[in-house]
Amino acid sequence: MGWLLVTPALVYFVVFLLYPALSALYYSFTDWNLRTDAAWVGLANYADLMFDDVKFPHFWKSVRVTLQYTLIAVPLTMAAALAQALLVNAIRRGQNLFRLLLFLPVVTAEAAVGAIWRWLYDPQYGLINSVLGLVGIPGQNWLNTPELVIPALAFISAWQCGISMIIYLAGLKGIPTTINEAAVIDGAGPWQRFWRVTVPMLRPTTFYLLVTGVIAALQVFGLVYVIFSGNGRSVTGGPEQSGLSYVLHLYLFAFRYDAMGAACAMSFILLVFIMIVTAVQFRFVKQEAA
Amino acid sequence: MSRGVAVAVLAVTLAACGGQGSGGGPGDGKTLTFWMYQDRTPQAGQVMEKVRKDFEKANPGVTVKLVKIPKDDYNTKLGGAVAGKSAPDAGILDQPLVSKYALDGTIKEVPAGLIDESAYYKGALDTNRAGGKLYGLPADQTTVALFYNKKLVPAPPKSWDELKQVAAQVHQANAEVAGMNVPKGDGYGAWMFPGVVHGAGGQMVDDAGKKVLFDQPQAVEALQLWVDLLKSSPRKITDSDKPFENGLAAMTISGPWDVPTIREQFPDLDFGVAPLPYKSEPAGNIGGEDSVVFSTSKNADLAWKWLAFLTSAENNGAVADAFGGFPAHLKAQVVAGGPEQAAFLEQLKVAHARPAVPQWIQVNDEIIAPALESALTGKATAQQALTDAAAKTRSLLGWNG
Repeated sequence: MGWLLVTPALVYFVVFLLYPALSALYYSFTDWNLRTDAAWVGLANYADLMFDDVKFPHFWKSVRVTLQYTLIAVPLTMAAALAQALLVNAIRRGQNLFRLLLFLPVVTAEAAVGAIWRWLYDPQYGLINSVLGLVGIPGQNWLNTPELVIPALAFISAWQCGISMIIYLAGLKGIPTTINEAAVIDGAGPWQRFWRVTVPMLRPTTFYLLVTGVIAALQVFGLVYVIFSGNGRSVTGGPEQSGLSYVLHLYLFAFRYDAMGAACAMSFILLVFIMIVTAVQFRFVKQEAA
Repeated sequence: MSRGVAVAVLAVTLAACGGQGSGGGPGDGKTLTFWMYQDRTPQAGQVMEKVRKDFEKANPGVTVKLVKIPKDDYNTKLGGAVAGKSAPDAGILDQPLVSKYALDGTIKEVPAGLIDESAYYKGALDTNRAGGKLYGLPADQTTVALFYNKKLVPAPPKSWDELKQVAAQVHQANAEVAGMNVPKGDGYGAWMFPGVVHGAGGQMVDDAGKKVLFDQPQAVEALQLWVDLLKSSPRKITDSDKPFENGLAAMTISGPWDVPTIREQFPDLDFGVAPLPYKSEPAGNIGGEDSVVFSTSKNADLAWKWLAFLTSAENNGAVADAFGGFPAHLKAQVVAGGPEQAAFLEQLKVAHARPAVPQWIQVNDEIIAPALESALTGKATAQQALTDAAAKTRSLLGWNG
């Protein structure tokens, strides 16, 4: 009877997750163009990806782009989420309304997000340059200057921090008021209470958001794709490949250059890398509330 | 557990059946399956329906089954069907894919005597060649040409010198307006670049497909033209959204798909379309769809007859329009009229097919595009950028020349 009840979940897991994943692992050791039979090449895909810059001239570039993006986007997103959660938590009226408004960017269709932000970053009419102009900062050509592309993308991801904000908000609600009251009696100011009470008490929440945030950032794809694929143009990752994220690079080899074997190898390299990064975080980042 | 396995097996079996059903079907010798993109418009669907019925009438007992697949999924689905030995009899194939499928041996060669090759646009027909052999018939074709704002550019430039001159004049008259929206070093810019190279009498690779030629003086001059144009066409202006449509760039390079969009969204913009300016000979690039017969087809003769029917003088005009391009048959009636269309057709007569190299898309995106960008941003000279790119291409393709 027990088996019967778990059968649907088990079938789903085996057919849609385990089988494709194991197939991908197999294909990562082959040369396969999707049309003809896959030819076994052993570790050649893995070796070529890392050492052959003729076959994969932009592999390491995509690694660098993705790491840079992760390093900027994750802290920025978490800071934005915490700031929003603190603001929403502090107000007495209209909490629901603000929570909804701050969550909207998350549920907006990715294509619309791309269109909106291409317009906001526009070098001629963009709102961002207009605002910067008010305080005397010269306008930038955000999405067409290689050095500015990653910060610009990270900023969009921080704007979409709604889910993290909700989780932080739940974390804030979970801090017993007695602790804060005790701190007030001990003479702690707002700043001290934030650093000595709120931040340590939120540690489990922060740890969860850090781990999931890093995993998501390392796999960034949709955002880059919609930002740089306007007008049906082929996506080569923005100016001078400055926005060529790891998964976009993988996607191009899988579906544009017919190198599914190499693309599968890339996905397993990413899997192993994510596992290592996550293990390191579990080992070295404090997780317990204190 | 055994039950779970049974269900899994059942699910896989069902999926396999589904795959086969949408593919070849039982080979009774009289049903022809043809894969194509989903209709762009309801009218396009009607056109294909009429052509299908006409063909069935002319060939009693034959049923043509049109399988329409969203364009974004098409290549993946087709690849899967070919891998699963359930490919259709015939289908549409994006031009640069023909040489890939030909290399795999998954598509058939065009039988001798099927068509009169001189009846087709040369560029379009050439997109079906690989290793000197013909593997398909061109279904429709498209190209890019010069769009110019009539208020800023009274007469379109014909030569490179005129182009540079006109662009400089426009920018000089108003520093807020760029002379031209210069293509970028991305996949799209790299697709347009060969048209300019041919305009100087050059080639990307030699006809035999054995030698890289885009580091030769003609290609370098073509890239230098784009670099020179940037002086009167700052990126800060042209990187804005729709610079040509908003009157911020006096000229741009684009395709027929932009004509109705501009007319609809910017009705006040007075613009014209002219063939690309050239240095020594008129030339252009080409895009569009070819039609091929798959090796697994049991009705190959009938399939070729159907493809010849689609691309004939009588039908190709309507069919190409349904597909969103221009006819590839020289005598076919062009549906989309207007002076702009005339410019594109003139351009197509001198259009050159992409090199028939199976890895060309990769070369285009990963090697040529970054090279163009490094010259356009001033990080390398045109000659350095292309010499470097040519060396990388030779290593990737394993060519000596």
